[in-house]
Amino acid sequence: MALVKRIIGLAVGGALLLLPIISLPAPAAQDKCYECHSTLGDAPSKAFLVDVHRSKGISCAGCHGGNSATDDMDSAMSARAGFLGVPKGDDISARCASCHADESKMRSFGSSLPTNQYANLKASVHGAPAVSGKGSIAQCITCHHAHGILHVKDPRSPVNHANVVALCASCHSNAALIRQYNPSLPIDQLEKYKTSVHGMRYAKGDTKVAVCVSCHGTHDIFSSKDVRSKVYPTNIPGTCKTCHADADYMKAYGIPTDQYEKYAASVHGIALLQKNDVSAPACNGCHGNHGATPPGVESISAVCGTCHALNADLFSKSPHKRAFDALGVPECEICHGNHGIAPPTDAMLGVDSAAVCSQCHAPDDSSRGFATARAMRKLMDSVSVTEQRAGLLIGEAEQRGMEVSEAKFQLRDARQFRLQARTAVHAFNEQQFSDVAHKSLAVSEAVEGEARAALDEFVFRRTGLGVSTLIITVLAVALFLTIRRIEKKPPGTS
Amino acid sequence: MNTLWKKTYAWIDERVDLRQLVDFMGKKYVPVHRGFLWYYFGGVTLFLFIIQVITGILLLLYYKASDQLAFESIQFIMSKVQFGWLIRSIHSWSANLFILSAVIHMFSVMFERGYRAPREITWLTGMFMLFLGLGFGFSGYLLPWNELAYFATKVGTEIPGVIPIIGKPVMEFLRGGPDVTGATLSRFFGFHVAVFPGLFTVFLGIHLLLVQRQGMSIPEHLEHEKLDESKRMPFFPNFLLRDLLLWLIVLNVLAILAVFFPWDLGKKADLFASAPAGIHPEWYFLFMFQTLKYIPSKVFFMDGEVLGVLLFGLAFALWTLIPFWDRRTARGSASRRVTYIALLALMYIIVFTILGWLL
Repeated sequence: MALVKRIIGLAVGGALLLLPIISLPAPAAQDKCYECHSTLGDAPSKAFLVDVHRSKGISCAGCHGGNSATDDMDSAMSARAGFLGVPKGDDISARCASCHADESKMRSFGSSLPTNQYANLKASVHGAPAVSGKGSIAQCITCHHAHGILHVKDPRSPVNHANVVALCASCHSNAALIRQYNPSLPIDQLEKYKTSVHGMRYAKGDTKVAVCVSCHGTHDIFSSKDVRSKVYPTNIPGTCKTCHADADYMKAYGIPTDQYEKYAASVHGIALLQKNDVSAPACNGCHGNHGATPPGVESISAVCGTCHALNADLFSKSPHKRAFDALGVPECEICHGNHGIAPPTDAMLGVDSAAVCSQCHAPDDSSRGFATARAMRKLMDSVSVTEQRAGLLIGEAEQRGMEVSEAKFQLRDARQFRLQARTAVHAFNEQQFSDVAHKSLAVSEAVEGEARAALDEFVFRRTGLGVSTLIITVLAVALFLTIRRIEKKPPGTS
Repeated sequence: MNTLWKKTYAWIDERVDLRQLVDFMGKKYVPVHRGFLWYYFGGVTLFLFIIQVITGILLLLYYKASDQLAFESIQFIMSKVQFGWLIRSIHSWSANLFILSAVIHMFSVMFERGYRAPREITWLTGMFMLFLGLGFGFSGYLLPWNELAYFATKVGTEIPGVIPIIGKPVMEFLRGGPDVTGATLSRFFGFHVAVFPGLFTVFLGIHLLLVQRQGMSIPEHLEHEKLDESKRMPFFPNFLLRDLLLWLIVLNVLAILAVFFPWDLGKKADLFASAPAGIHPEWYFLFMFQTLKYIPSKVFFMDGEVLGVLLFGLAFALWTLIPFWDRRTARGSASRRVTYIALLALMYIIVFTILGWLL
């Protein structure tokens, strides 16, 4: 039994030792170029030894031209044999594209790779002209290297998941280089990425976690301001969704996968995805781009304040701030939720079952919270109803042809004060809320007064018209009778 | 009361010799015939003009002719000034009825050949007043400084601008600069309340004086007949009272229109906004506006718009000068050709106005 184990062990060990030799690509038949250059020990031929193209039987002449079947240098590298030498600038990518953009050629090598990489690269942000004046910013070899091109799944490939972050950073963290193209483009993406959950998991060797190309794409990278970009605001939720809404993919991480669904139905999602309002936050608005949170935000629970500054300011001075901190609960999220934030309504305020205040405050509450919530809701209802009534009356007066544009304009102030009152709710201070709410009430009541006066005036006009028409008609009839009387008289009589 | 009236009359008569005027009025007759009804339209036009003067003066008390304040001042008139809404609505409605009535009056005179000698001056002053009325309408349309008026004025003032040589200076004179701005508003206001009323009063004075002096025009076929009592009506008091009766009816119609269809103020003009869809001039310019739209951009070697403007100019000039070229009527025989031309013009105006309104 021990002997059997020893034999199996030797076999496995031998196989492992032979693995590099077994896995070496099959050399191209009759590649005289490689045969000579490898004896010279130059770097390109060393790298080409493991190149994926060599394994497919493609010789040096595949890219450089010439005749690789002869060892006569003059004949092999003659113009007649189609020798191209070392391609420069855009000719480099064009050489790659001569096969990689040709579907029939690619299939003849048994490849199932897409054939649009070159077209995508040319259209991408990297396809723009380089400051050197020698073709585009990036050529195929910029990322894939020239002679040691490996399959993307090969861990030694620069574009492999394990290496691609460093590959992108090799340019994007280079201030001198990036400044030449876009001085406003940050160069700290890698540093931020390292602080993010994605970056931290990546550092631990997680092979599924998002890297640069997961969000930005590979050959088809566009500026984030370009609507075709995967990271254009309206496309970001869809990009994040690729992984985060895939229950199988995310299974190992134990986090929910319904964020996109909730977000799409939320006030932010509707604004961004349906109304194309790019000022509305996408996933990165709260979770940050490359880093864990947006710049300057200490914790994701405080991220709402970056846009909703006034609410956050009022909240930070409110009694809730201390209480929430003591309880260790998130601030805005506790009442508004996170991904599925619905448009806030007045129903959230108060002490009935639909109100969020009642989640913590009960009638026997020792704090003044219950009474404050009840009083604020009562006043808020009054503000809304009065404004609504004023609006209806103004509409009615306008429909009847009365000139009420000034009052209608004033009604905007009532709405503005009501919105301010809704913001003032976040101070959780009855007096502070009441001061603003009463401003709205005062304007609405004034507008209502003007609308009623206009409607009364309408009735007055109709009545006035009736009376004046009657008077004019009586006068006209009297005149008519006078004319008849005069015209009946025989001529000559007076 | 009767004694008081007689005393007052005697007092005035002693000073200004009223008897002569009363005698003259007593001998004034209006011929009664098939086209008698048309005689009323001169009076109705006059009545509407008087209403325009009165309501215009009342509006002047609050209107502010500046691009910053014009719209707001009319808003103020309509919402805050006691009966301001009524005055403004009547002014707008009356302006439109005035043009309509003047056009009817003009066509009735045309069909009845009322322009023939010796009434050429009456016709000319009438035509000048009609053109001034259109000027009143065009200048008054801009005064509320609302969106529609602003763009309609922009288009309207561009039209004379296409005339070769004099077009551009005329356009700049009308606008008070290369564009329609606050300067145009001040200018139009000046035309509307000072220049046009001044000229109009002079022409109106001559027109009325001549009507009184020469009497009502009698149709050609009755001209040589002796009109007996049944075929003539004393101007005073019969015709005057009938005129008054019609004026009362017109006043009633005006009041109903002003209350049931108050004139809309629209949106304030925004010089930087793009032109709203469906801008069109006032209805009485529609037939010309529509014609210019139908003329191809190039007609032979001429620009289509230039050709249109020149043709309209020529047509109006010929129309005004009809007493001088209608030789047949002048000789005393009815000219059928003039009737056909007038009918054709009337049909053309009606059809193109409807087309302009609908399209």
